Parts: sequence; structure tokens; C-alpha cells
Amino acid sequence: MTTEIIYSAVGEAIRTEAERVLADGTVAAVVGYTMARRKGSAQPVVLTKPEEANQLIFSAACVNNLAVYLTKAKKELPREGRIGIVVKSCDLKALVGLLGESQLKRDSLYIIGVPCVGVLGSTLQPSVELNAETVADKCRECDDRMPQGADFVPTVALPASPALEKKYAVEIARLEAMTPAERWSYWQEQFSKCIKCYACRQVCPFCFCEQCLCDRNKPQMVEGTPRPAGNLAWHLVRAMHLAGRCAGCAECERVCPMDIPLNLLNRKMSRELKELFHSEAGFEVREKGPLAEYNEQDDQSFIK
Amino acid sequence: MHHAKPKHEFEPKIIAFVCTWCTYAGADLAGTSRMQYPANVRLVKFPCTGRIDPVFILKAFQQGADGVLVSGCHPGDCHYMAGNFHARRRFAAFRKLLEFIGVDLQRLQFSWVSAAEAGKWVEVVTELTERVRAMGPMREFKDLALEEQWSGSLTTPELQEAYEAI
Repeated sequence: MTTEIIYSAVGEAIRTEAERVLADGTVAAVVGYTMARRKGSAQPVVLTKPEEANQLIFSAACVNNLAVYLTKAKKELPREGRIGIVVKSCDLKALVGLLGESQLKRDSLYIIGVPCVGVLGSTLQPSVELNAETVADKCRECDDRMPQGADFVPTVALPASPALEKKYAVEIARLEAMTPAERWSYWQEQFSKCIKCYACRQVCPFCFCEQCLCDRNKPQMVEGTPRPAGNLAWHLVRAMHLAGRCAGCAECERVCPMDIPLNLLNRKMSRELKELFHSEAGFEVREKGPLAEYNEQDDQSFIK
Repeated sequence: MHHAKPKHEFEPKIIAFVCTWCTYAGADLAGTSRMQYPANVRLVKFPCTGRIDPVFILKAFQQGADGVLVSGCHPGDCHYMAGNFHARRRFAAFRKLLEFIGVDLQRLQFSWVSAAEAGKWVEVVTELTERVRAMGPMREFKDLALEEQWSGSLTTPELQEAYEAI
């Protein structure tokens, strides 16, 4: 039950801080989590008045990455003034990525970091206890439970992280050990489930293009209908466009109605790019991501 | 005097994405120098390797290419200073992605061929063509593209038979 104690302390600290910053005019709005209708579930909320601050909560059901509300979904936010935002460390990495890509200005943000011991893998049963079975796969591999560089982080002592099986690492190793033909059929099976609902694109903080390459039809590079060739192309283009940028919040995988292991591709790419170019999403703002810069000494053993 | 052209069971389609400043000129030099190289390669000219999006390679495979060659200026020789450096990183990443998806990387070749290296162009093209010829047709993407044309899964024997006949 330590999780609940930690998260209720975190929630209390967030409420106090949100009320303070809204009251003294530091921020025009706070993006955070509030209780949703089902018992134990949570939903994003935008608050603009200090007296509303008591609505804010934090729990293991606060799964959303709120960074997306600062780019695509920003219509909900006031135009003027700083925005306060509640972020877990994975969300903060996405936010830092957006800062690096000049999508956001650090001065216009008031970052409320959350010391995190993990969130639920599925919110179908939001009041279920957070344990080794119910924790999200991304949290199993998380080494940064304390957000760094935030404006406010509640002072909470976190327990040592339990050694959990790293599911992505295991799955990547399993796939890498297969023959190309086996991998191809594995991914075909996964991609054939895709219904092209684009929920993964909608929820991704990094998919902020005004017009997606995959929506263009002159020329049409990616078939739009949920058919085999187009599905494969969409998922490859998505993985490629997120390569070196993805912060690993795994929202794509969480929202996928067909349970396609989307974050597996992202994790694989981030591992490869770390190995090749020693660049990884973190708490430091990178001026350029690994695929936006170059080094004259880069490996070119694959080029004749 | 012409060499007798050897007959092959399978003539692979190779799409080459080349930069206009180096490799295209190199291929041109090979032509004007009357060097022989397999006619399997179809050139697509780009201003720079930095302009070549990974999605072009995907599209080429989906449209029936058996092999893809991407070629441009040597590092440091880019007409636009750094296009090929960016391309090098992008393709290093894209290769890893394709490998993870299960594409045989033997069908995808990257090379630096300068405007003076007609011989190297001939060598690269010949080697890739022969390698892909030995590997046989690229089935995976073509099957996907074919499935895309069908209005449903192949559930009846008649449909399956018609499909096999293609």
C-alpha cells in the first residue's frame, strides 16, 4: 500500500502548489489529472482558477502523457500566460524533446514534476492495486523515477525500485534471435490488426505536423486504407519519424485498440540510435536529435 | 563486337536512387566510356542523397523492386555540404528498422560513387544485381501490394487459384 501513501502525498503537494501558482498569477492554467467518473479512474483536466485546484489528484491510474495538451490539443488552453503542467518523468522527457524541437518555450511553462513509482498498464480496472503484475511495461524499465529540471517536485521518499522483468528488452531479444522470415511474419501478423484509427498518432506528443506525410495523396506515399501494404508503410514511417525523438511514454501502445506492440519498435529504434550515435531522450534539452545532426566520423561500414 | 548476352531465368528489378552531382554523373561517365553493366538498374535522380526519404525505398519495394541501391557523393564532397552526412545517419537507422521488421538487408545497398568513379559504379551495380538475382524475387512486399488489390482474403479455392496464377 506504500504506493497509495506516496501518491496521496504527491497529490496533496500538487494541489497546494497548483493553488499557489494559480493564485499568485504565475500561471494562467494548470494541466493535470482529476477524478473521472469510474471509481479510481483519472482523466486530464485544465484548471484556470485557484479554487479549482482541489480537483487535482495523482494516482496509479494517471496514465496520460499531458505533454500532448501543449502542442496539438492546445486549443483547450488559454492563449496568454504561462501554463503549469503535471508530468511524470517519462512525460517530462517528451516535454524536453518538444523544447528541443522549438515547439515550446521553457519560460512559458511551469513544470510540476511527479516522483513516480509507476502507473497501471491498463486502466480497464482503475482501482486495482499497483504491483508487479499490473504495472505498465514502460515502468518496468524506467530508471528515472525522479523528474529532473522541473520547477516544482514534491519531496517524497521513493522506495528502491524493485527488479522487474524488462519486457521490452526481453521481447526485442526474442525477435532479434529469429530469422528475418520469422520476424517478417511476426510483424505482418501484428500490423494486419491495424485499423488505421491513428490513435497512436493522435496521442503522440511528437506527431505535431500540420499535415502528416501519411495523409497526403499527391503524391501518395502511404496507402491510407487499413490494408496490408499501407499498414506496414504507416508503421515503418511512424517508427522512422519518431526515431531519435521518442521519449518512451508508450502512449501509442496504451491507446492502440488492436494491441499492436508499437512501443517495441520505438524502443528498438531508441536502442539502436543510442548505440550508433550515443544520443538518447533525457532530461537535458538537446539542441538537435541524433537524426538532425551528424558527425563526420559516423560509422559507414554498411556503405560501399 | 558484342558479348553474347547470357540468358537468365530471373531478371531482377533494381531501383537506384542517386544524387545528381556524383553518382548520376558517374553512371553517365560509365555510359559514355562504353562500360558494360547490367540493364536491370533503373536510375531515379535526386538533387542530393539528403533528399532521399526512407519512404522512397519502401515505395520502391512495394511497387515491385527486387533490390534498391542508394548512392551519392563521398563524405565531404556533397554539393550541399552536409546532405550525405545526414543521409548516412538516416539510412543507418532505417537499415536497423528494416532488419527488425524482417527485410533481408542483402537487397538494399548503399554506396558512395563519385562523378569520376565509373568503374566503381559498374562494380556496385553488377554486384548488387548478381546478388539479388541469386536471391530470387522479393516476395514479401509484392505479396502485400497484391493483397492490397484484392477486395478480401483468399477464402475460396477459385480465388486462391487465380491468385497463384499471377
